[in-house]
Parts: sequence; C-alpha cells; structure tokens
Amino acid sequence: MDVLLKLSDISKSFPGVRALSDVQLEVRKGEVHALLGENGAGKSTLIKIISGVHKPDKGEVRLDGKLVSFNSPRDAQANGIATIYQELILYPELTVAENIFIGHAPRRSLGPLHWVNWREMNDRAAEILQSLNIHDLDVRRKVGSLNIGNRQRVEIAKALSINARILIMDEPTAALTEADVSKLFDIVRLLRQRGVSIIYISHRLNEVFELADRVTVLRDGQYIDTQAVSATTERELVTKMVGRTIDNLFPKLPPKIGEPVLQVRDLVHLPFTRGVSFEVRAGEIVGLSGLVGSGRSELAQVIFGIMPAQSGDIFVSGKKVRIQDPAQAINLGIAYVPEDRGTQGLVKQMVIRENVSLAVLQSLASSGFIRRGRERSLAERAIEQLSIRAYSPEQIVGKLSGGNQQKVVVSKWLASKPRLLIMDEPTRGVDVGAKSEIHRLMSELAVEQGLAILMISSELPEIMGMSDRILVVRDGRIVAEYARADVTQEKIAAAMMGGQPKFENANPQEVSRTS
Amino acid sequence: MTAIPQKTSQALANRSIGSRLSGLLTQESVLALALVIISFAVTIVNPNFLAARNISDILSNSSYIAIAAIGMSLVIISGNIDISIGSLIGLLATIAGRLAIGAEAGGYPEIFAFIIPIVVGVASGALIGFFVAYLHVPAIVVSLGMLSVLKGGLILWTGGEWIYNLPEWFKFAQQRPLGIPAPVYLMISLTIIGAIWMKYSATGRAIYAVGGNREAARLSGISEKRIIMTVFMINGFMVSIAALLFATQFNAIQSTVPSGLELLVITSAVVGGVSILGGTGTVIGSTLGAVLVHVIPAAMIFASISDYWRQAVQGLLILFTVLVDLYRRNQQSYARRK
Amino acid sequence: MQAVKEQPEQQKSRFSETRLGRSLLSQETILLIITIIAITFLATQNERFLTLRNLSREVVLLFEVAVMAMPMTLIIITGGIDLSVGSIFGLSAVVLGFLWQDAGWALEVAIVASLIVGLMCGFLNGIFIVRLGVPPLIMTLATLALFRGMALGVSEARSARGFPEWFTDGIGRGDFLGLPLQVWIIGIAVVVTGVVLARTTFGRSLYAMGNNELAARFAGIPVQRYKLVIYVYSGFMASLAAILFTARVTTTRSDMGTGYELDVIAAVVLGGTSIFGGLGTIWGTVLGLILIQVLKNGLLLAGVRGDATSVLIGIVLILAILINNFIQTRFRSV
Repeated sequence: MDVLLKLSDISKSFPGVRALSDVQLEVRKGEVHALLGENGAGKSTLIKIISGVHKPDKGEVRLDGKLVSFNSPRDAQANGIATIYQELILYPELTVAENIFIGHAPRRSLGPLHWVNWREMNDRAAEILQSLNIHDLDVRRKVGSLNIGNRQRVEIAKALSINARILIMDEPTAALTEADVSKLFDIVRLLRQRGVSIIYISHRLNEVFELADRVTVLRDGQYIDTQAVSATTERELVTKMVGRTIDNLFPKLPPKIGEPVLQVRDLVHLPFTRGVSFEVRAGEIVGLSGLVGSGRSELAQVIFGIMPAQSGDIFVSGKKVRIQDPAQAINLGIAYVPEDRGTQGLVKQMVIRENVSLAVLQSLASSGFIRRGRERSLAERAIEQLSIRAYSPEQIVGKLSGGNQQKVVVSKWLASKPRLLIMDEPTRGVDVGAKSEIHRLMSELAVEQGLAILMISSELPEIMGMSDRILVVRDGRIVAEYARADVTQEKIAAAMMGGQPKFENANPQEVSRTS
Repeated sequence: MTAIPQKTSQALANRSIGSRLSGLLTQESVLALALVIISFAVTIVNPNFLAARNISDILSNSSYIAIAAIGMSLVIISGNIDISIGSLIGLLATIAGRLAIGAEAGGYPEIFAFIIPIVVGVASGALIGFFVAYLHVPAIVVSLGMLSVLKGGLILWTGGEWIYNLPEWFKFAQQRPLGIPAPVYLMISLTIIGAIWMKYSATGRAIYAVGGNREAARLSGISEKRIIMTVFMINGFMVSIAALLFATQFNAIQSTVPSGLELLVITSAVVGGVSILGGTGTVIGSTLGAVLVHVIPAAMIFASISDYWRQAVQGLLILFTVLVDLYRRNQQSYARRK
Repeated sequence: MQAVKEQPEQQKSRFSETRLGRSLLSQETILLIITIIAITFLATQNERFLTLRNLSREVVLLFEVAVMAMPMTLIIITGGIDLSVGSIFGLSAVVLGFLWQDAGWALEVAIVASLIVGLMCGFLNGIFIVRLGVPPLIMTLATLALFRGMALGVSEARSARGFPEWFTDGIGRGDFLGLPLQVWIIGIAVVVTGVVLARTTFGRSLYAMGNNELAARFAGIPVQRYKLVIYVYSGFMASLAAILFTARVTTTRSDMGTGYELDVIAAVVLGGTSIFGGLGTIWGTVLGLILIQVLKNGLLLAGVRGDATSVLIGIVLILAILINNFIQTRFRSV
C-alpha cells in the first residue's frame, strides 16, 4: 500500500516543555490509523503540526513522497488535509451548506461581479451529505440549532468539500450518543473505502480495535511503536501507553485515615452529573479517574458550588450542607484547584502575592483593609513551602513556568486552610521536578495534616501511584471502585472505556454507588 | 459503551422540530406583523392614521434612518458599533448645504454638493475602520471620540447658524415622482441592493463570519482587517446618503443634529433583528425596524400620547429586543450542551 | 521517564516586571510629568493661576465630571462601562426640580428623592447586566436613551427655578473653612474611592474581576454582588453631582448632563485605566481630570471658543487609548 503521509524525526518544544522528540508517523492511503497516548503524550501537538498550526523545530513532513512545509492551516487544507477538532469550528448563525463551503463557496460571475451561487451550494452540500449516507439533515438549517452529532457530520462534510485526502479526527466520540457513534463509524468506513486516510485519536480502545487498521503509540512526547491492530491486544497497547514509570515519581507515606470529611449522595446536575455517591476521609487521597468528558471536573464543580447541585445531598464532616456558590464551599473548608489554571486558577497579570491571597482576602484584612504585612508573609511562606522558583513575591505570575504557576495555585488554596482539597489534573503541563514536589506535598498534607484529598487525573500512573482509593467515572456516574492494593492499570482502563462488566467492587463494605 | 439514554436523544430530536417551527417566525415576519397590528390599533383610535398622506410621510421620514441603519447593521453584524453617525450626518448635511449655495453662486458644478459629502463620509468611515482594525482601539471608544470631534467641529464651523436660501434643485428629498417621495425610492432600492449583496457576495458572507466567530474566521483565511475597513466605509457611504436626504428635506439646514439620532439608527437595526453580539441580522429587517421605530411615535401622536416620552420608549424598545435576543441565544446554547 | 525539560528559573527578571518598574513605566507617571509641565506653562501665562482661589475655581468647574469619574474608574477596571451617567445626571436634576416646584415637596425631601432616583437608575443598570447578562455597553446605551427620555417626559422641557437661598448660595456657592463645598466633597470622594480601590479586599477583587472574571469567581469572590455595587455607586454619584450642579446654576433643564459621559470616560482612560479592564488607579483618574482641565484652560488662553473643547476631548480620548495600548503591549504583556 502506498504511503501518503510520512513524518520523520519530528521534534517540537514550547517554553519550558518539550512536546515531541523524534516522533515518527506513517499514514497509508485509505487506512484508518489510530494515534494513542495519554494526555500530554504529544498527540495534539503532532496533529497540529500535520494540520499546519505549528511548524516542527526539527524533522520532516512528506506528502506523497514530496517534502512539504505548511505555514498555516490554509496551506494544509490546500494540500488535502482536514482536521476535525473536539471544539468544532462552526458558525452557529450560518446554514449547514454555508458552513460546509465556508471560504470556498461556489460562485457565479458576470464580468467583474461575483456572487454566491446559493442553489449550487445547497445542491452540492446535499450531495456530499448523501454520499455519506446522511439523509435527514436539511442543508438550509442554521448550524446553531443542530445537536452535536449533526454538527460533527457537518464538519466531516466540510472536509469532503475540499476533497480531503487525510482526515484527522480528535476524540470524535467524546460527546456523542451511541446512535451517533455508530453512524460515525459507518461514515469512517465509507471514507476509507473511497481512499481517504483517517488519523483517528481516541482514548477508547474498543473503538480502535473496531475501526483502525494500524495504531501508533506515543508516550511523553516520544514515539513508542506502530502496530497493525490485528497483531496486538488491548493489554499490550495500554502497557505501551502507560509505561512503567511509577514508583519514584510518587512518593507516598503510609496513610493515616480518619473520619469522612466529605460525603456525597445521589448528586445530580444534568447533563454532567447523574447520580453520584461517594465519600472522602481525612488523611485519604481518593483518585477520580475517567476519560475526558466523563464528568469528573463537573462533579468537582458541583461540590465546589460553581454549578450547584440540582438534587442530592452533601455532608461535610457529618453535617448536611447546601453549597450554592464557591464562597460557601470555601467557608466549609473545601478548596478546588481547577483543571485549567490559566483561565480558572490564576490572574496572570497579577503578581504571586496577589494570587496567593485571592481566596483568603477576608482573613488577611481587618475592617476590609488588606494588611500588606500579613499578605506578604503569606506569600513568602508559600514560596518557601512549595519551593516556588521566583525571586520575589512581586513577580508577575504569567511569567512563571507551568510547574511554578501550578504551585502558586495550590498555595492559594492551601492558604484557605481547607479540610477537603479537590485537585483537578494537579500536574498537567508540569515538568518532572515540580510534579514530584507536588506529589510529595499531597502526601504530606494528607498524612501529616489530615487533609482529605480528591484527586482528578487522566494519568493512570499518577492515579495508581498516589491514591489510597480509586473511583472510576464514566458518563457522569461512578462505575467502579478499587482499593490501592487490588488495582491494576488494565482494570482501570477497562472500566474507563467500558470494555468490562460494570461493577468491580474490591471492598464490598464501601459506600454504595449508584448505577 | 454507554451513551445518553434513548429518551434524551428523542428529546433532542423533538427540540429540533421545535426550532424548525421557530424558523418560520423570523424577525422579519414578526416585525411586519407588529407594524400591521400597531397601525390597526391606532387606526381604531384615530382613523386619520391610515390616510395616504400620513403613510407616505411616515415612510419618507423613516427613509434616512433606514438607510443609515443599513450601514449600521453591517457594522453591528461584524461585531462592532458606531455611535458617531449622528454628528457625522450633521456635518455632512452642512457641507452639502454650503456647497449647494456656493455652487448656485457659480464657481463649481452643482454635483459637488452631492459628491463631496459622500467622499467625506466614506473617508470618515475609513478613519474609524483604521483605528479599529489596525490600531486595535475598540469601536465604541473610537466612535465616542469621533462623535465629539465632529459635533464640536460642526459648532465651531457653523457658529450655530442655520443655513437658509437653499437652491431649489437642492431640495431633492421633497420631490415626489409618481406621488411617492423620492427618499422612499432610495430607501427601497438601497435596502434591496444591500440585502442582495449581504446574501450573495463573498464579502457579505465574510462579514457574518467575522461577527459570528472571529477565531474561526481567522482560521478560514478571512482577512478580518479588510472586512472591518469595508464595513466602516460602507457605513460612511450610507450615512452620507442619509445626510443628503436629511439636508435636502427641508428649507433650511440646522446647525445641530437632533439628539439621539445614532440611537434611533441602532434601535432600528436591533429591532430589525441584528444582534448586538454580532453574526446575525438582515438588511431587510433593519429597514422594517426603522419604519417600525417611526410608526410608534407617529402612532403615539395620533393616539394623543405625549411626545416627550418618545426617547424613553426607544430605550425600552432596545432593551426589550436585546433581552429577547439574549434569551434566544441562551436557549440555543443550552440545547447544544445536551 | 518523562522527557520534558524545564527552563532555568533563576533568570534575571526585567526591570519592567518588578513592582517599582511597573509603577515608574506606567501611564500615570508620564501623565504626571506632562501635567506638571502644562501647569507650569499656565502659571507663567497667568501669575494668579497658582493661587488657592483660582485653583479652587478650577476644581469647582470640573466637579461634576470628577464626581462621576470615581465610580466610572471602578466600572472600567472591571471591564464594564456606563454610558448612562449623563442621562442619570439629567434625570436626577429634573426630578429634583419637578418634585420641588411642581409637586410642592420640601426641598430637603426632594433632594433625598433625587438621590434615590440615582441609586435606582444605577440599580437598574446593574441588575440587567448582572442577572440578565446584557452587555454593559448595550445596557447603558439603552438606559442613556431611557433615562434621558424620562427626563424629557417628566419635565416636559420646563425648567425649575427660584430655589431658596440656603440651597443656591449656601450649598451651590458655599464655602467651608475657606474652600468651596465642592472641593471638600470631591476631596472626600477621591480619598475614599482611592483608598477602597487600592487597599481593601473589595478593590483587590475588582482588579481580579477585570483581569480574569472566571478565576475571580473560582476564588470565591462575589462577582455579581460587587458589580451591582459599582453600578449603583455610579448612579448615586451622578445624582449627587446633579444636585450640586443645580444648586450652583440655580435652575434645572432637561438636557443637563448631555455628553458628560464622554468627558468622564476620557478622563478615566487618560488617567491610565485600560478600557479592557484590570488596570487603573484613582490617582491616575485625578491626573486625567486635571490634565483635561488644564488643556481646556490652555485653549481658552489661545482664544479658542468653548465648543472646541469637545473636539479636544474626543481627540484626547482616542490618543489616550492608543498610548495605553502601546504601553500595555510593550511593557505589560503576559
């Protein structure tokens, strides 16, 4: 079979982080090629290089054997490479046909005047949809009124309208219903038959086995292996994705577990949280694992009051409470280190001191006036306690590296003296050194200070290395629970992706889950 | 794998049927309906409302606002705003008047009185567009500054004097070919041209794109800077036409412009379905909006409601339309999340 | 193993990143220098310029704009805007006149009622912006028309006049310890607003909201409540200014306050407050106010008529933003 796209020795770095080192990828004509790897493995960076958003620092890209270099997404599109991102790039107020042909609408001209040929556009759009076996979508509807499944189909049609030879799909099934997923698979198979190559990124191994011809695994920005799907197993792939890096990255002290600090019963906030019950005890680190889109962050935000629960109960230290906004949560001793530190966790234009004090302003003030002395010493303590690499508390946070920024966020929340610390992807985008420091801190907080920690993470080694108990979330529900001693990567991965029976309860005496 | 249960996906399908129905209830049809209803209601109170002369007066009066609203809708659809047009209309009208008198006295051709204001109008638009597109000054601020520069400039120039003795050939807007006021012809033709252009030209579609999803437009290779310049220049053009109508309508040209003119134009556009968040709206809608905005005060007069409340009603009208628009958008994005 | 590298952290920071650096390279400093130069110039032209008497007079002239510029600074720091202040001003004045002259209320009560009107107008703005999510630009543009229209409707273009002496002379032209009442009031307003902004939790929260409202929410800051407060404050100050203005000019007119929003926003932005939010000080606004007043004086000296000032203000506004943008991209980009 011919090789259509070949990436050799691709390396790419961003400030503070090396995203890709010497990565290889080879895509053949008419194949479905899956790209596997954990969050942070470098998959997005790789596809952004293929689709022209980034240029590699090193390495070459060859299309049909010829060396190419894309300066913009448009260049890549002109060469027949189309990408469907998770956040679909559509115009809600324009029609389906118009979105499909955006930027290259069919025109008619009369001398110097051109105008958009609506009839031809609508007809051709309908044709494309027909060719994908989509018969129930009216091309004249505004895209804003469509559900997510249909929007995705519009994106696929868009790719076809530029005669894409390579279609990149990034986690396409993350937000789809079962019916939509099977329609998507049909479309992918159809496209493959027509000779279109598809680079398919997904965490869901069963999809990979159902659809893909070959699979490439990346880990920590490095190329691990490429295999024919028929020649490998789920277990083998998981091992390659996850590696054996655990132990020294996860310094963990022997736990001292006390009374429940947080108990949650039948918590509901549609459509993300659909009836969740669990508890977290003092001194315990509970790991919450699951796929992107499974609803973990949303669950945390429900508990923290960003999206107050629609129904269900929350108990803090045995007392029933209602949490309607973050201020209430903070007063109850709950702290939330958010997933996206840039937009949710930090005010980048402010200095370290101002960020660290942001959640505890009231306690640093007397009659409303912030006590500069208190604030400053809080910041200095934070810098020391977490080994934040900055030369003074007056440094602007936006200029710090990812790891140090994360430490600032964590110290902000520690300043609020919480009893329950929810950490959402605590070491995402953080270098090795800072990672292990944060982990050490977590363990110390739990064991020495009796903090209850709820850790959300998409990195299996982190989950397995740090948690005393592991809960697996899928589609807004908790589907499995494991104790540290009984868990394996494969069990978690399986529960996350739905390949195994639903309820794997290692400790029958634990708090019940809802289905 | 598990997925959203069948019941929910059923609900999703039903929702799309509902949105199909609401598609029929476009802003334009609602406006037309509102016009009919209000006219009807007032006629019951005072039958003189429906007299032909009155209707042609209302249409004539709303013409220059409607034309200015065409330009304003383009600006708002692209995600910007321009609150300086009132002052610009005043300035251009004065320029036109002075030139007309000068041309009458000999010295230069009469056509200058019409062409020069248009050139100045487009230039002014280009200036604003430049600041917004290339210097990244928010449109609200540029037009706020422009507004005072033009207003002050006008007062300085005219010294508060009105312009009389306008030559007869200048009073274009007073003509009534075939019994219909000339401004109405202009309003209708510019509306049709504008509507066709927005719907069928690549630039027109690009304006919607830039206003609807800036980031996506950039990724699709649309030059945001060029679109913004174009939009403000067209606005300048439309405003200059409106100014000419304004100038040629009466026997004198005021030294000041009725206050709140820009608000009237924005109201027309917003009532006509142009969303201030950008990305949607139509030219036909804004023209209907302009007519409606004039029908209401006229109706108020005929129904003997004090005219002093006119501006208050306008403010309420904007608020109401904006709330409806926000509500509609909220519903849409909620449906999307499921 | 993770194959990621870390940039050396112990890099020398640029001067522009330190606290001292940031304040020296700011717009406020540049403004201070320009203002000093300009005042010196004016002083040379008019030997009586720097007398207390003359300076007090200048302050009285910029009083209304200055009063409204206090809350406007806070609003713009949070990334919002209030275009309706001029109309709230007019409405409050008209209500004062109407209640006292036509409805026959006692003047003291009418004054209180007028202040309440200002509060309510601000509250209306705030509620729609906070609860219903109407963008501040549009909301206050609409209320600009609404409130002005109400002023017209209530007054029906009639003026109120003949206010009692204790009002027009005692308050409007009154002195306290040798300085006009207006100077005291604006002095208190500046100090209070400035201190609140710079030193309290409320002020710090406003900056956070202006820079990253989401992060502020996540940190437990009551964003909605705070926003409501500043819009109400704006309405209140507008009516306060209107009452004192009426006292000074001894009459009310329905078009009072028209165009004031321009002067207020220009002063605030000139003073270094970024129109995009997150940045700004009361001190800077004060400098902006002074500088504009100085410029107006300069124009007067050059024999330019009063109407030219609006041309000037417009140009100043745009220039101020350009300078602001420039400074921000060069020195403060993150």
